[in-house]
Amino acid sequence: MARNIDALTAAQVSAAVAAGELSAVEVARAALAAIEAREPQVQAFLQVTPELALEAAERVDAARAAGEKLGPLAGVPVAVKDNMNLIGTRTTCASRMLENYESPYTATCVQRLLDAGCVPVGKANMDEFAFGSSTDSSAFHPTNNPWDLERVPGGSSGGSAAAVAAGMAPIALGSDTGGSIRQPAALCGVVGMKPTYGAVSRYGVVAFGSSLDQVGPFGRTVEDVALAMDALVAGGRDLYDSTAQDVAPSFAEALRAAEAGLDGKRIGLVPAFMEAEGLTGEVKQGVLAAARALEDAGAELVEVDLPHVDAAIAAYYVIGPSEAFSNLARFDGIRYGYQEPGCASLAEQSARSRAHGFGAEAKRRQMLGAYLLSSGVYDTYYYAAQKARTLITADYTAAFSQVDAILMPATPHAAFRHGEISDPTQMYLSDMYTISLNIAGNGGISVPVGLGAGTGMPMAAQLVTPAFADERLITFGAVIERALAGDGGSVLGVAPAFAGKGGELA
Amino acid sequence: MRELQEVLQDWEAVIGLEIHTELTALETKMFCNCKLTHDDEPNTHVCPVCLGLPGARPVPNRRAIESIVKAGLATNCEIQKHSMFYRKHYFYPDMAKNFQTTQGPVAFCMHGHLDLEVTGRGAAERPACAFGEAEAESLASSSAGAVGLSADLSRMAGEKGAPASAEGALAGLSSYDTASLATAERREDGSYTVPIRILRIHMEEDAAKMVHVGGEEGRIGGAAESLIDYNRCGTPLIELVTEPDLRTPEEARLFMEKLRRIFVTLGISDCSMEKGSMRCDGNVSLRRRGDTKLGVKTELKNLNSFKALHDGLAYEICRQAEVLEEGGEIYQETRHWEPSRRRTVVMRTKETADDYRFFPDPDLAPFDLTDEFIERCRAEIPELPDAKRDRYQHDLAIKRADAEQIAGDPATADFFEAVMAVADRAEAQNVANLVVNDLAAYLKGDAAATLADAFAPAQVAALAHLLATDAIASNQASEVIAAMAGTEADPEAIVDERGMRQVNDDGALQTVVDAVLARCADQAQQYRDGNQKVIGFLVGQCMRESKGSGNPKRFNELLRASLS
Amino acid sequence: MALTEDDVRGIADYARIALEGEELAEMTSYLNDAVAMLEPVLAYNLPDVEPTFHPIGDLSNVMRADAIEPVRDLARDAALGNAGSAREEYFRVPSILGGE
Repeated sequence: MARNIDALTAAQVSAAVAAGELSAVEVARAALAAIEAREPQVQAFLQVTPELALEAAERVDAARAAGEKLGPLAGVPVAVKDNMNLIGTRTTCASRMLENYESPYTATCVQRLLDAGCVPVGKANMDEFAFGSSTDSSAFHPTNNPWDLERVPGGSSGGSAAAVAAGMAPIALGSDTGGSIRQPAALCGVVGMKPTYGAVSRYGVVAFGSSLDQVGPFGRTVEDVALAMDALVAGGRDLYDSTAQDVAPSFAEALRAAEAGLDGKRIGLVPAFMEAEGLTGEVKQGVLAAARALEDAGAELVEVDLPHVDAAIAAYYVIGPSEAFSNLARFDGIRYGYQEPGCASLAEQSARSRAHGFGAEAKRRQMLGAYLLSSGVYDTYYYAAQKARTLITADYTAAFSQVDAILMPATPHAAFRHGEISDPTQMYLSDMYTISLNIAGNGGISVPVGLGAGTGMPMAAQLVTPAFADERLITFGAVIERALAGDGGSVLGVAPAFAGKGGELA
Repeated sequence: MRELQEVLQDWEAVIGLEIHTELTALETKMFCNCKLTHDDEPNTHVCPVCLGLPGARPVPNRRAIESIVKAGLATNCEIQKHSMFYRKHYFYPDMAKNFQTTQGPVAFCMHGHLDLEVTGRGAAERPACAFGEAEAESLASSSAGAVGLSADLSRMAGEKGAPASAEGALAGLSSYDTASLATAERREDGSYTVPIRILRIHMEEDAAKMVHVGGEEGRIGGAAESLIDYNRCGTPLIELVTEPDLRTPEEARLFMEKLRRIFVTLGISDCSMEKGSMRCDGNVSLRRRGDTKLGVKTELKNLNSFKALHDGLAYEICRQAEVLEEGGEIYQETRHWEPSRRRTVVMRTKETADDYRFFPDPDLAPFDLTDEFIERCRAEIPELPDAKRDRYQHDLAIKRADAEQIAGDPATADFFEAVMAVADRAEAQNVANLVVNDLAAYLKGDAAATLADAFAPAQVAALAHLLATDAIASNQASEVIAAMAGTEADPEAIVDERGMRQVNDDGALQTVVDAVLARCADQAQQYRDGNQKVIGFLVGQCMRESKGSGNPKRFNELLRASLS
Repeated sequence: MALTEDDVRGIADYARIALEGEELAEMTSYLNDAVAMLEPVLAYNLPDVEPTFHPIGDLSNVMRADAIEPVRDLARDAALGNAGSAREEYFRVPSILGGE
């Protein structure tokens, strides 16, 4: 059985491990070998964790040998974004500030995947503290898009998306504050889901914007994303996160619902989004291909309007930086993090530790937040942004009274080249289609639809559903996937340059 | 400097208090499951949440919320159903996140009051001119917006103005129910009662403890470095802010004592000023009697005992008066009370950022307390000290001062009630005398000892009966107490064994009186000539003659009868 | 009204971010660009719209039992392990008031 690990989905790995066709250790070794072969070009990881992976794999194999029931993701390699704590790893947030920070505890989302039998192969690169859309702002190194190494993988969860696209892990965890799962998923040609705010615990995930952040999975198939979602919510509401809520682990079930077709379902399209300035023709074509797939399955396409969504980017850049300033205030070099040596006073030590520990974008966002929260300014901007949030949420509610889901682009364009967008405020626009969901809180999924006619790069469509109706994302996403891919397979699969490179299973 | 009472004739002191109370009765911290401790090894009760580690998130302690609701109900506050936690930012290492999680413009408890009964010598601090209309005007012109509020609240005042904000429902917030407030009136004995309005009680978390090394007396100035212990960080803390309705240091002291008794009775805190679980800052400004414009206030820190609270405020009032009388100016500043030198000095503090950049904490869901939640808290409130005092006074005919003292301490009150369950109600005052004076005096040497540990209620009831029936003299009680403490001995048996029982038989006593009067004819004559004092000498002689067994009270009566 | 370098220096002091050399000018320019980009949101400061501080529907009154959970306690070595400087069992900071 000379297969390559990258040819298997998470579902296939766990089935094979459960059936005894593969041992978890074999899988882990293959994944580590694939990483060794591919990582020099992709640079998706900040830390590869062979010891942790093999230990976890051995536990799975021992459990199987003892006749214990295996978790639903037994033996499945997973890449974890480096803003998630995992004991035995550093959690750096791709920042000099946390370069040597050893995780003192494990995040709930990571723990739940481990409990489901996952094998952690490494910590994935990201934009520093998740501020960015390219992963270029990592303090350590950029990550390259596996489909074209000259291009960015998107961000901030670029390492997670690239690891999955390059076949170094079938699934990965990311976090999404303004599109940080869906945008890199789109640019790397993998499936990436941001569930409803509160569906997945944020405990142990280093905060950027507390009212915006949400954890979610990447996979090469909708099925793998569904399995990961079930594992993430299976433990019930996390008692360590006040904003977490109970979600039924019904995602795998929702996948099966796709087989029944979409008769009677209504899918919304937002004309203003499809005609927006900056949307490239190839992306638009991809979204329309997805729309046809849904229509072919029996769904009716309906035009809907989100009149206040224009305010989303501005609202986001008020709320996000304000919360980021507050959340990052704790990095003062005292309890953890970079500490500037030789300072005569505490104030000097804090100011220099922060100046040298944080990169440019992290400083910019915190400065913006500190300004926006200051006396007088706060009343003007913060309240306006939170009112815009009310209106955007109401827009979605109104739209969902007409349709079951909305289909839209995930990004305006294909992956751009490293350094192509240098102006930070221009960079902010690459989240134009994803950001409103973080403002309103409901879930979305980015599903690959093929390669663009112009760039030859992955194209994607985004599905959006009402709050706590995330299982529909899986159902509708699976319909698109089945229409555009082969039998039960992935739309784009592993990036061709990396498929089969290292990682053979014995 | 002039004396306080003299100063207060000319100047009116406007005092507000900010009182922080740690909810020490809880098991765990405000937002995490770490154990609450006071003196454990440093940094041994810390977790990702209270250490502010990246990725950690808070979850509020239900009992802390119940505790503050009870505190609000017990101080006549209106419980706000809707409120949120806010983040208050300042860079200082005692707050692990560099922000404190506290409440916004709407606190769980708003607009309460306590009636303060001021009796005894301290009542004289408030001069006669500060009653009636003057008092009403004074209160009306010293509302919270003007003085006594810390920077965080004035910051929020701005937010109140924000139109249609979620918390801008503040506009619909009730204010004080002025009709229910008492008016100050001086009684014949000099005592008086004044209402003290409570602006709010909000929930927050305590800071870590810092040790400053290398500076004078562990103070921050001159310290070469500081060490931080996060065990206390995250301890549930309630902050009560009064309106500036207090007018004398005695009132401030009594308010604090009263609040302490209430909180102790509620069972939410040990309220130890010594250990720092109850802390008080005072704001004080002066204005000329009759003025309505408020003066510049100073904030006093280190008022960590009832005495310090009184003396610190008294000093500061006199200091301000002196400065003002010499044409000087008061600066808005924070001053530190130095009890050993009996003075306040300007504090050198951390750089204070006045702009705390408050905003609602997105990691914490808002609160919409239900009626059921509030009523459940109400049902758990035990009888409060004032009600208990009144009950003792009216139902058991105990002196108000004694009733107040017993009612103020839950353990004492419980013990007293246990004794009364087996004692004769007519002897309640005897029981009260024992509890307040003799038993307390016996236990004084041993801080850890409690009444219930040392004595059985039946013993105390029996002893009270012996006293009430004159079987022993009041000055003999201590001997019986010493003998019965920690034993099961019956006081009656002790009295009999030791031959302590007083002779109350008039026939036998008259024989003694006659013998003494015969021996002390000179003194008898002096009495008849009007020297009342000599009766004491004669009673003493009778006691000697009876070898201490006669009832001195009865001797006194028989002597007077014989000499009239 | 545009932010001046003085304004930005004040914010940086507050936020404890030492700006060096060119950084002050760059930051000032960035902040002014960013604030200009936020302009559209000001149109939403509408009197009859309630702000949404928490995107979680009607979730409220989230509380936990007052019970000790030693499983989350950090061993002191772990607590102090990431600190830049510690003295014995304490976290350590340099002089708070500086060498004044």
